[in-house]
Amino acid sequence: MAAVDHALTVSLRGDRRTRRRRIVNRLVELVAILAAAAAVGVLAWVVYAVAKRGIDLISWSFLTGDLPIPFSPEVGGIGPLILGSAILVGIATLIALPIGVCIALFLEEFAPGWLRVPIQLAIDLMVGLPSIVIAIFVFSALVYGHAENGLAGSLGLAIVMLPLITRATQEVLRLVPSDQREGALALGASRWRTVLGIILPSSLGGILTGTVLAVARAIGETAPLLFVTGIYGRLVVLNPSHAMPNMPVQIFIWSESPDPLDHKRAWATAFVLMAIVLVTSLVARIALNWGRRNVTR
Amino acid sequence: MSETDTMPQMRPVDVAVPREAAEQTRETVFDIQDLKASYGSNVAVRGVDLQIYRNLVTAVIGPSGCGKSTFIRCLNRMNDEVPGFKQEGKILYHGVDLYGDGVDQIEVRRRIGMVFQRPNPFPKTIYDNVAWAPRILGLRKDLHERVEKALRGAALWDEVKDRLKKSALALSGGQQQRLCIARAIAIEPEVLLLDEPASALDPIATASIEELMHDLKTDYTLVIVTHNMQQAARVADRTAFFSLDVDESGRGAGTLVEYDDTGKLFTAPSDKRTEDYVTGRFG
Amino acid sequence: MRVSFQEELDQLEASLQEEGSLVLRVLRGALNALEQRDAELADEVIAFDDDVDALYLQIEAGIQSLLARQTPVATDLRLVLAMLHINLHLERMADYAVTIAKMTKLVADVEADPPLLQSLQEMGERAEEMIRVALDSFADRDLEQAESLVELDELIDRSNRRFVERVIELVAEPDVREWVLRMVLVSRTLERIGDHAVDVGEQVAYLLTAEFREFTDASHPEEHV
Repeated sequence: MAAVDHALTVSLRGDRRTRRRRIVNRLVELVAILAAAAAVGVLAWVVYAVAKRGIDLISWSFLTGDLPIPFSPEVGGIGPLILGSAILVGIATLIALPIGVCIALFLEEFAPGWLRVPIQLAIDLMVGLPSIVIAIFVFSALVYGHAENGLAGSLGLAIVMLPLITRATQEVLRLVPSDQREGALALGASRWRTVLGIILPSSLGGILTGTVLAVARAIGETAPLLFVTGIYGRLVVLNPSHAMPNMPVQIFIWSESPDPLDHKRAWATAFVLMAIVLVTSLVARIALNWGRRNVTR
Repeated sequence: MSETDTMPQMRPVDVAVPREAAEQTRETVFDIQDLKASYGSNVAVRGVDLQIYRNLVTAVIGPSGCGKSTFIRCLNRMNDEVPGFKQEGKILYHGVDLYGDGVDQIEVRRRIGMVFQRPNPFPKTIYDNVAWAPRILGLRKDLHERVEKALRGAALWDEVKDRLKKSALALSGGQQQRLCIARAIAIEPEVLLLDEPASALDPIATASIEELMHDLKTDYTLVIVTHNMQQAARVADRTAFFSLDVDESGRGAGTLVEYDDTGKLFTAPSDKRTEDYVTGRFG
Repeated sequence: MRVSFQEELDQLEASLQEEGSLVLRVLRGALNALEQRDAELADEVIAFDDDVDALYLQIEAGIQSLLARQTPVATDLRLVLAMLHINLHLERMADYAVTIAKMTKLVADVEADPPLLQSLQEMGERAEEMIRVALDSFADRDLEQAESLVELDELIDRSNRRFVERVIELVAEPDVREWVLRMVLVSRTLERIGDHAVDVGEQVAYLLTAEFREFTDASHPEEHV
């Protein structure tokens, strides 16, 4: 009997089923594109709205000048705010970074299984901790009965930053291939030497990026600062044991004010804040990708 | 009796003295007695008795899953890193039980080095790769000489001497593996364990590693695990054949079947299982 | 690459050449014993064959080990196979020399015929020359030289013809008949040594050309190489 002649029976043309498959493919693609566009669109809308309202006041003198006298017709500046925010976040980083890295190292390299699970859970929960709750906690612990001060604010910010840094560091540590550890151990290195000499140096890029992202987040946190370092004067404050002027709280204060000029100032400060956060996040992402390429080969 | 006046022309190669039968006194480096190794309730290998001799290349061959890697990792206590690992029996290193009380696994690994299947150089410069371990182990004296000696020993010096400060990750696979060997011998171990060192390399890089092993055995004792029988036949002085041993309950564990001079194992093996494996009729 | 493998090959070849020089010594000893009718010398020759046998076994074992461990291919494989065969031929040649020595011992006290002895010595010298040429052609990888062994074999045949003529003359005399018969065996043996030398040459040709080929075919006696 003649064998089936495949040349005759196989047709590479599509039939009804393949056409329907193609249409479904296209539809799904379309939905995905729309969703992405929506996300980008929302961001663009926010940026545009803030920029439109805030950009008028932006100038070099605005960025560096002293805070205006209340109800003064002079625009003034937000120099002290920027400086204050920088100091607050700086101190917070000094607290959160070493602790966060150590926790990450402990979780990834040293912790026995029974200990790792609860600690990891705690860190994950910390991410979702409402910042207002953190604020109340810090207030009652450090500020109630004492004066407002920047350190307490930094502490609140550090609590916000800690899980972010820990998670980012964990990610990078996991990227280090296990045969690096094996190679180091096989040479007679102790655990901590391996971590210090091989694993940490490979992860530095990622740790830096994670920190920068955490900073971008902390710079805009309002709640932890609101009643912890919310009352301050017009001048530049450098001493963290006093209440420090900062951008997010000032935006809040100005937006509550009856003076329309204050509203404008609020928009302008919001614009500055947003710009700082966007640029920082962008730089961090770029650095992370570049760092990833160097570690994994 | 009178000689003929003209003897046949000899090639300019020394007339060979019949080679002495290689039964010179061998020094035992490892004495392994009834070794059994398991991860949790899974027995990976059991019933291993053999001696590893000094300045020889000893190969461990056998099908997958018969405990070759587990076995070799017992020799430098790398298995300690795996949770649930348990070891029974004795592994005597120059008479000292490796798993005895008071034996520091770091000291063990300083004397018994290891090279892995996939080259794993650190993301550092070539120089720092080799210098890192000596530095942290306190061997800082004459560090440059030590690094050069190690790189020469790994047949890598000539290729990298002008770019010691370049990243090690820029080297080819074969070069990276030789760098890992240099790294291991930089701390002057006595033994070098190689866990399938060439299986991730192309044939030319593999040949260079095999050639290197021939030179290394002058100064070190080598134990190599390989799934490539011909490689074991080419490089090893003695070969151990591991196979899967299924007991009554149906569970399998690796075990030592035969251990002999390589020539004997590949021309006249004593055990039928060995014969089946080396002739490729296994399975 | 594969330096140790190459060294092993070189060592085997050197051992083979050494075996060749031993064979020449054994043959020369047997021929001298024959000429001088020296039974003691014949005994030495017979004992010396043990050295050849020992070397033969050693080379044999070395080749077996090399094949198993190094899996040679291409030229390396042909070299090893050629050495395997040459080893055998050399050992046979030594055994034939021992046969000659044994014949010498048997007829040491018997009256000899100088012309007959003379032609035997000629054949012996031809055989020696053939062995030398064979070993040289192997050492130098010289195909022409190997092929020249056929002509040298011719020379043995010519000497043999003269030998046969003399035998026919002598066979009539009863007192030398036994001696003559033994000497016929000696001539036969010398011819066989020549044949083995040609075989060695054929192995050299195989090594160089990768073709198994006999230099002369008995069924086509005119078609020489």
